[in-house]
Amino acid sequence: MLTVKNLSFSYSKKPFITCMNFHVERGEIFGFLGPSGAGKTTLQKILTGLITTYDGSVKLDGIECKEHDNHFYENIGVDFEYSTMYEKLTARQNLEFFSSLYAKQTVKIDEILADIGLQNDADKKVSDYSKGMKSRLNFLKALLHDPNILFLDEPTSGLDPANSQLMKDMILQQKAKGKTIFLTTHNMADATELCDRVAFIVNGGIKALDSPHNLIMRKGAAKVLYTYYDKHERLGECLLSQISEDNVLANLMKENRILSIHSSEPTLNDIFIEVTGRTLQ
Amino acid sequence: MRIIKLILGDIHFQFKYGFYFIYILFSALYVFLLFIFPETWREKAVSIMIYSDPAAMGLFFMGAIVLLEKSQRVLNALAVSPVKAIEYVIAKTISLMLISVLVSLVLAFVAGLRNIPEVLLATALTSMIFTLLGLIAATKINSLNQYIIMTAPLELICFIPPAIYLFVPSVIMQWYPLNGSMALISNSSRNPLRDITMLLIVIICLFMIAQRATMKMWKSLGGVKL
Ligand SMILES: Nc1ncnc2c1ncn2[C@@H]1O[C@H](COP(=O)(O)OP(=O)(O)OP(=O)(O)O)[C@@H](O)[C@H]1O
Ligand SMILES: [Mg+2]
Repeated sequence: MLTVKNLSFSYSKKPFITCMNFHVERGEIFGFLGPSGAGKTTLQKILTGLITTYDGSVKLDGIECKEHDNHFYENIGVDFEYSTMYEKLTARQNLEFFSSLYAKQTVKIDEILADIGLQNDADKKVSDYSKGMKSRLNFLKALLHDPNILFLDEPTSGLDPANSQLMKDMILQQKAKGKTIFLTTHNMADATELCDRVAFIVNGGIKALDSPHNLIMRKGAAKVLYTYYDKHERLGECLLSQISEDNVLANLMKENRILSIHSSEPTLNDIFIEVTGRTLQ
Repeated sequence: MRIIKLILGDIHFQFKYGFYFIYILFSALYVFLLFIFPETWREKAVSIMIYSDPAAMGLFFMGAIVLLEKSQRVLNALAVSPVKAIEYVIAKTISLMLISVLVSLVLAFVAGLRNIPEVLLATALTSMIFTLLGLIAATKINSLNQYIIMTAPLELICFIPPAIYLFVPSVIMQWYPLNGSMALISNSSRNPLRDITMLLIVIICLFMIAQRATMKMWKSLGGVKL
């Protein structure tokens, strides 16, 4: 679906993205993770044809991105990291207008508004929307023409947990329909939940690329952390796989002296800090 | 048809932002002025009004429209839609032309002009020239101040010669396309076919420039200086 070969690009004379290579399959949810300013949005702008001055090759569904014609956009939906709506028109008027620009108009506007929980605000002006409402509306705009490829730039940022879940469910529904989805997020839990594979972007380069599961596994085994009282509060730690060998813990259990205990699997958060932290040094 | 949707979208947008309201206000003001002018001035006055209306409005409104679209980032949404630059240009031009023609019809009717079809045609063509000039200027700027500075000379070039020509119709001056427009409106054209052709040629050239300018504006949305 997407093949990036030797991609290089910079806004200025200073090199930024240099010689990037990766490949994304049809039907995948592919995540771009990385610190602020790493180049995630820039990469999306290249993939969506908004930046055409790159070197190397970026082929989306067989089309070289910088050589696209206007038909290219019938097949991709873009959710920008900011609102792109006419502020004085209502949500419904905006969606109706943008929908009318596409050849395919099969998506029912009322249905998707209800799916994301905006059915009661559909006739409010966008300028009267809250931040989270605007992000949800912008997400809907990307779905209007039922495109095969979706680009979502921080779709869940600024959403409360319930709405964030609604949106993630809709993203997974799109995947179930066979769509290919590109997603950036700063929320590692979302990335783990949604993405088949993620790429960690740091300073314009890919520092790691794999499924969240594999990345987490590579980081190492789960640990058990416990606290107990021995003159003052103390912290104990052992590997989950070797828990029976920890005599301190065994004794504490026998004597019912454990104050707290929990196991901790490494998360994508740890990977993030490791991958991005190392380059900050 | 996408182009029809775009035109309707633009009209809707202009209506919501009160552009129609302003046009109605100005028309009312013009009509009022027409009635207080002495009979002998009326014909020249109405010509100037009909000519200046799309000039002042079209040029100025186009800047406001494009700036609003820029600030609300609607242009980003359009740039990743199947809309072609030329469709965008056509929709903007036609939507403003419709208002201009409407206003001019009211003025021509109130003033009792007899060459109404010619007036309307001239208004339509002139309005296109002004909105296209406005659009070309608007693609290059980011604030209303910049826009006013950039269009002030345009207003002079577009406005002074036809105004002079209305009172002193010298032979050389008739080759200035916008003077042809003034001549058509004031029913004093020596050669309507030539005047219309001149205006059409200018419009075609401006369309091509406006299309390029729009493409460039869309391409620079990615943040790369071209
Ligand atoms: N329009 C632009 N002109 C010049 N430089 C830019 C432009 N847009 C972004 N940059 C620079 O490119 C770098 C990457 O920006 P980008 O927006 O891709 O980051 P990001 O990874 O999306 O960050 P965030 O997580 O904060 O959204 C930054 O150093 C930024 O300053
Ligand atoms: Mg970003």
